[in-house]
Amino acid sequence: MNKFFITAHNCVTAADACGARLGTRFRRMDLSSQLALLAVESFAPHFESTPRDRVAIVLAARAGSLPTDVNFWEGRNAAGGLSPTIFTYTLPSAGIGEIAIRHRLTGPNLCFVGDSRDVLVEAKDFLRRNEADACVCVFVDVASPAFRKMIGCTEAAKATAALLQRNGPGLPANEFNLLSV
Amino acid sequence: MREPQVAIAGCGAICATGNGTETLLTALKNNTSCLCPNERFTRLRFQSNTVGTAPIDATGDDPAYKLASIALREAISRLCNRQSSIPPDRIGLILSTTKANIEALERLSDGRPCSAAASRHLQADMLAADLASEFGALGPVQNISNACVSGLVALMQGAKLIQRGAADAIFVVGADHLSGFVMGGFTALKAIDPQGCRPFDQDRRGLSPGEAGAAIVLVRRDLAPQSSITISGWGSSNDANHMTGPSRDGAGLAQAIHAAMSAARLQPEQIDYVNAHGTGTPYNDAMESTALRTIFGQTTPPISGIKGMIGHTLGAAGVIETIACVLAMQGKFLPGTTRLNNVAEGFPANLVKEPRTATRIDHILKLNTGFGGVNGALILSHE
Repeated sequence: MNKFFITAHNCVTAADACGARLGTRFRRMDLSSQLALLAVESFAPHFESTPRDRVAIVLAARAGSLPTDVNFWEGRNAAGGLSPTIFTYTLPSAGIGEIAIRHRLTGPNLCFVGDSRDVLVEAKDFLRRNEADACVCVFVDVASPAFRKMIGCTEAAKATAALLQRNGPGLPANEFNLLSV
Repeated sequence: MREPQVAIAGCGAICATGNGTETLLTALKNNTSCLCPNERFTRLRFQSNTVGTAPIDATGDDPAYKLASIALREAISRLCNRQSSIPPDRIGLILSTTKANIEALERLSDGRPCSAAASRHLQADMLAADLASEFGALGPVQNISNACVSGLVALMQGAKLIQRGAADAIFVVGADHLSGFVMGGFTALKAIDPQGCRPFDQDRRGLSPGEAGAAIVLVRRDLAPQSSITISGWGSSNDANHMTGPSRDGAGLAQAIHAAMSAARLQPEQIDYVNAHGTGTPYNDAMESTALRTIFGQTTPPISGIKGMIGHTLGAAGVIETIACVLAMQGKFLPGTTRLNNVAEGFPANLVKEPRTATRIDHILKLNTGFGGVNGALILSHE
């Protein structure tokens, strides 16, 4: 049986995103992408030891891009019309793109909409199948006020992330839960 | 031990060519462009209303579910008795969509009527769960949203689930519908060709949105007839370059193709046909041509793309274009590149304009790329 390790993990909230100093590009992103990017920021030193094309990214977004979708569609009656910048982020996988660009990670990608249960399972499968040597795992849970009003869910603005690698030191992956970070 | 092979057992489709894979086959053989003006989009300010419209009730509030269920019903109807008797708990479902039932967002925002089911299907995971429930898939249920590569990634995921023993069959369903939301977004990006998309053409100016439901039933190889088409390899990658534009050097797509061919244990000269992403946007088609040159050199296999026929169907694209490949393989013909008039300078000389017969098609390479820099490559084999 394959044994993999969680060599880094992190959790961030909207307050962290507000205080982040990651430049103007970061400010243009939607909240989901900001949180995903920020949750992975501290993993940067780990990427130095792995070829960038061997690092996969698996992300799950509980509400997909719906909070951003609501924001984008509200612009239909605005003077400037619909925003091309916001449209870019009306995909649940936008956060993967931002992480890949920032850390130059060119390995395989996988994006789910919904809960986090499949993230670690599929990350391990990338390593088991030798499609990657490391995998960035991210779970984003964002429910903006406008989205909450439409759907009737509870407020959320948080991202958790973990880095799965073949070798430790780190926590055995089988004992790790992305929601417990 | 080598993992079990995965075969394609049934396909279903509804798109601009009509309802059913037979309509798609006929359009492929005749190279018919089914892009045409859609009156729903005339009163608003869009770059164009030339789109690929599927034959569903345009006034319905749940078009995503409608497209997905029509396609899946057809795919299941094609299964043989042995496949139909696979226990429900050994059947999974993977939904591929970028916007799920975005119609509901437009309705709720405008205060128009919207049923509870249609509202729920705004969320892709709910849409997947309801499809699985209706069609008796009690095994693993996932939904993939990797931009315009979603369909190929869903097929890769389906194959992986079967290979690792999580299911014996997977319903892979792609669905995305035309909406003011998507038309407005692409208009804001100035990405739509007012005259309808012309992939790989020297005068190409952009894409044409389309809508589709597409379904492929994957099964463990031993549950399929000897002559079945298999998924023999795949790869995905990220350009790590730009959120909406492809990298100019095509390195990311070439990386995905290389991974797919390695997995299938194939050499470039063994690929008989490439079904391209071919959106018709200036940069995508150029990047794709560059990536293909990187892999194949100056002697590329025959290449074509079908978005000039049905439009860019987003989350359904990878699934319905793979179905087109299956039909081509079964019918021993190479689809044309509808609406391609003059091949742009520097693009592969082997672009197929008009459909033609082929003596043998053993291996097809299917490509898709998407926003966020994602690339996908899938290989179908029929030996």
